[in-house]
Amino acid sequence: MSNSLRLYLACIRNTLDAALCLQNFPCQEVERHNKPEVELKTSSELLLNPVLICRNEAEKCLIETSINSLRISLKVKQADELENILTKKFLRFLSMRAEAFQVLRRKPVQGYDISFLVTNYHCEEMQKHKLIDFIVQFMEDIDKEISELKMSVNTRGRLVATEFLKQFM
Amino acid sequence: MAGTEEFVEADNAEAIINRIEQKSRKMESLLKQYRTVEALKTALEGSPLNPKDDRCKSANWIMVHRAIMAIKDVDAMFSSLDPECCDILMKYLYRGLSTGDRPTCDQSLRIHEKLTERVGSGCILRYLADIVNTV
Repeated sequence: MSNSLRLYLACIRNTLDAALCLQNFPCQEVERHNKPEVELKTSSELLLNPVLICRNEAEKCLIETSINSLRISLKVKQADELENILTKKFLRFLSMRAEAFQVLRRKPVQGYDISFLVTNYHCEEMQKHKLIDFIVQFMEDIDKEISELKMSVNTRGRLVATEFLKQFM
Repeated sequence: MAGTEEFVEADNAEAIINRIEQKSRKMESLLKQYRTVEALKTALEGSPLNPKDDRCKSANWIMVHRAIMAIKDVDAMFSSLDPECCDILMKYLYRGLSTGDRPTCDQSLRIHEKLTERVGSGCILRYLADIVNTV
């Protein structure tokens, strides 16, 4: 793993470690309701400073915390048009199945490729360090997956073109 | 009443900017002598933390940015920084990370890792929780 990737993931892990301090907090406006405050942003005293961690111009990570929920949005590096399309399709595939992941958000935040929403209920059911491990592992694996997909598309394209053009030889 | 308050604030902003310019001259001379750690300390002390004037904050940020980019040996830096300076440094590191400029981000990530090892995640949490004194 290159050094800058290692530092980027270490920074995100440390920030998540500090930011994932969530507790149950019923909604202040509507009684008997319990909503993730980071999504609604109605009361400023419940929100902490949002943190933007950029690795370079193309990759960044936005971490917004509140008293009972945390939202992590990622922008994945996309070098060319093909990677652009592959990333969009792949992450859309994952986001559609967000219920299986529990902490995934169905739609990414504007300007990012994928978003996670962790609430206090997730922290109660699951272990905090495992959640952080999951998110950091996800970031590592996304890059590998996208390059594998790109390679398989190029290989398939080359095979098909070779077979097709053989008939003209 | 509001008019005089604005006048007083503008005065303070000018005074702060003058102070920042003086600090930056002192810091440049320290950097020329390769005393990068002291340069960083000078830049961090007396940073304008009030959320009033963006110009003061940008001016101070430019200065601190120069000092951060000049640092080569990260470990030697921490022996002379007191806890308050570490907190202010963490705020400037996150500001550097949000710029998206590759060398700034690389350097900020490097210092961030060492600083967190040294000070712990309390420093990060203090940055997250401090909505009043921003950089």
